[in-house]
Amino acid sequence: MKRIAFITTLLAGLLFIIAPYKAHAQCKQQMVYACATKGKSIYLRDFNTKLRSSKQHERSARWTVVLNKDAHYRFNLCTPEGYEDKVIMTLYDSQHPEKTNPYGSTYDLKTGQHSDSFDFICRKSGMYYISIRLKEGVKIKKTCAVGILSFVGSTH
Amino acid sequence: MNKGEVKKYFFVLLMIIFVSQIFVVSGCKKDKDKIEIPKNLPIHEERPSPQNQEVVDQIVSSFPSPVEVAAIIKDMEVPFSKKYLADPGIIDNYDINFKKAFGLGILSADLGYLNVYERTTLIVEYLSSIKRLADDLRVGQFFDFQAFKRLATSNENLDSLVFLSVNSFSNMNQYLQENARGNLSLLMVTGVWLEGLYLMTQVYKEHPNDRLRELIGDQKAIFTILYQGLKLYKDDDYFKKILDEFKKIDKIYSQITITYEKVKTPQQTKTQSGIPVYEQQERSVINITDQQINDIITITEQVRNKLINL
Repeated sequence: MKRIAFITTLLAGLLFIIAPYKAHAQCKQQMVYACATKGKSIYLRDFNTKLRSSKQHERSARWTVVLNKDAHYRFNLCTPEGYEDKVIMTLYDSQHPEKTNPYGSTYDLKTGQHSDSFDFICRKSGMYYISIRLKEGVKIKKTCAVGILSFVGSTH
Repeated sequence: MNKGEVKKYFFVLLMIIFVSQIFVVSGCKKDKDKIEIPKNLPIHEERPSPQNQEVVDQIVSSFPSPVEVAAIIKDMEVPFSKKYLADPGIIDNYDINFKKAFGLGILSADLGYLNVYERTTLIVEYLSSIKRLADDLRVGQFFDFQAFKRLATSNENLDSLVFLSVNSFSNMNQYLQENARGNLSLLMVTGVWLEGLYLMTQVYKEHPNDRLRELIGDQKAIFTILYQGLKLYKDDDYFKKILDEFKKIDKIYSQITITYEKVKTPQQTKTQSGIPVYEQQERSVINITDQQINDIITITEQVRNKLINL
């Protein structure tokens, strides 16, 4: 009885300590920095998120992004080790839906191959969507992922 | 379990909670997201309605980074010129938070230009003004002035300088949005966008080229989004002044038409290092006359100079 009471007390206390930190499970700044500075392109923006398979709304995250015409952009995806083939980053809009015909993705729907980055040559300025999501069927407790948008150069 | 033991475990639980709270509180001191916002904000900083807030958040979070225009201009091999930049001393006249937020956007775009062109000696001068504005807006905690200064003066690792610059700007923006001060964020991105347009038009005056001409015309798409966002605050005096000026830009952009055509290029190729490259299969065609581009140059200069001196 004493042992049960002691364990219950300890667990309650630990839960109280851990709870405030659980809400913030995005990738750490060091990882964002490493991902943002690994190429020669100019860093423009990052998309940092936590991912969890148990909750549907935490399987993915979405951002809007304005891109400029005739700019060559690079999208890099970084995840903790071991999660490289479990997370997908996709660029899309309403005319090019995320799951059927996106502009670009780190996962090639036809070949089933993963890459950690893709380039996009924008031909019309406007608002686009970026999503980072767990691949269909992947079950994991939690992880984080960071996408980096950078500028490669102009094309005209 | 007797009464004494229950008391003992209750006491242990209380102690754990007490100790954990010390950790949590001390952790919060280091956590930049936990700065308290005073309940009574100055009258000029009324909080936006939740509906407006949502629209504004989407606009602000989607907007281009303060270094993007500079990166495009540098890529055109246009030489650096200090005369395109705002005087960092202008901030002395900024007496309300709305002006400070707008000025923070203007100077952040200039800082982006200096970073991309690696003008480290000038960077420190701009950093001081940006830091002052950020502190006044109570977002200075996202701005590591010492790290900036160290990177700028050491003349090393310019990638880090760009990262720090863009990251600080987006953290300030995100913090303002999360604390229902999205109207200040909107003014920051307005400043960034206007300074970017000013930079493009000034460069075009001296180095005219088709790429820049199209880019200036194509800003219509981005301007339209921004203009709609600003209109949400049309009842505020300061926003009204900005809208009055933006009406002039709108008048010219409404004459410019954008059409779309299909592009016949392979959709996917690869870079030399094996990165897949996707090219958009539709392109916008900007129908802009010489008169219209000249009007945009003139009006942008007038509007920008008026707004930074308001």
